Amino acid sequence: MADREVDQQLVERVQRGDKHAFDLLVSKYQRKLGRLISRFVRDSAEAEDVTQDAFIKAYRALPGFRGESAFYTWLYRIGINTAKNHLLANKRRPPVNTLFDAEEAESFEEASLLREVSTPENELMSKQVVNAVQASLQQLPEDLRSALTLREIEGLSYEEIASVMDCPIGTVRSRIFRAREAVAENLRPLLETSKGNRW
Amino acid sequence: MKQEISALMDGELFEDEAESLLVHIKRDSGARKDWEIYHLIGDVLRQPEHIHSDLSTKVRERMQDEPTVLVPRARAAKQKLRTFALSAAASLSALGVVVWMSLQVGHEVAPLMVARQTALRSVSTQIQPKPNDYLMAHQEFSPSTYMNGGASYIRTVSYGPDEK
Repeated sequence: MADREVDQQLVERVQRGDKHAFDLLVSKYQRKLGRLISRFVRDSAEAEDVTQDAFIKAYRALPGFRGESAFYTWLYRIGINTAKNHLLANKRRPPVNTLFDAEEAESFEEASLLREVSTPENELMSKQVVNAVQASLQQLPEDLRSALTLREIEGLSYEEIASVMDCPIGTVRSRIFRAREAVAENLRPLLETSKGNRW
Repeated sequence: MKQEISALMDGELFEDEAESLLVHIKRDSGARKDWEIYHLIGDVLRQPEHIHSDLSTKVRERMQDEPTVLVPRARAAKQKLRTFALSAAASLSALGVVVWMSLQVGHEVAPLMVARQTALRSVSTQIQPKPNDYLMAHQEFSPSTYMNGGASYIRTVSYGPDEK
């Protein structure tokens, strides 16, 4: 079952009145959507509010979603419109360099231009999370690190990774899981100690 | 269970497995936490410069005030009916084309086949009166018979309609 079909299944559950299914979509797409919105709304607190608004708008609009496009494309479109409307409502113009399609938004690299203005506390926590993930990744055995990197950064399927690493698909599945779990083990204590905001 | 969550995230589970696992994740807070943390790891690896705090709790709180979304069943049923009607129409038209083509082909081929059959008949009647001596002499060695060795004692008789 492809990633898009998992989303579609969650969407159908929401359409049948299951609000909790929407939580899973929020936790999956919140950072991607937040990153996209932060290209329009530079203030991090403001961008966070707009991201929440976009999710609520998406929830309200879900009865009209028929699955003709991927859920994330549809969600990104809502995110872009919400951000633009937010800027217009505050009599600000959207930045000129954001004339891109929702589908290419995910691969859009412009972090240095639009670095978010974060509170010192959030900034510190963000750095700690990133450091913990990267340090854990470096400590992993080579085969686990490669499998996770090929999946998460290169976006290869299990079949493709099996071909690259010359091993069965079952081994790929197990390596990716063990890599994720090893990183998660190091991350959990940090996330549990963070006060106020959840990560 | 965690391994299945990891595979689900990667779109590598079968539909029925995915369906039951999604139900479990929704109900079990531990499983949901794993879902969230695995996604966080992926996001950090892809875009480490854009990591912010978890918004899902805030969105969930705001969703409390939202009415439950319900897509009318009638619309879903209508969509299914439309899909069924379209596929049935496509199947019927394909069947029609096949039947029409077979009728067309049948009419042209029938006389040809009759002509070929008469030609074959005349050839076989020409050959049959001549017994093949070689085959008759070596019939006992033929793999088709289970009476190897006994064939020499059997007399083969043939009948031709023209040789009365």
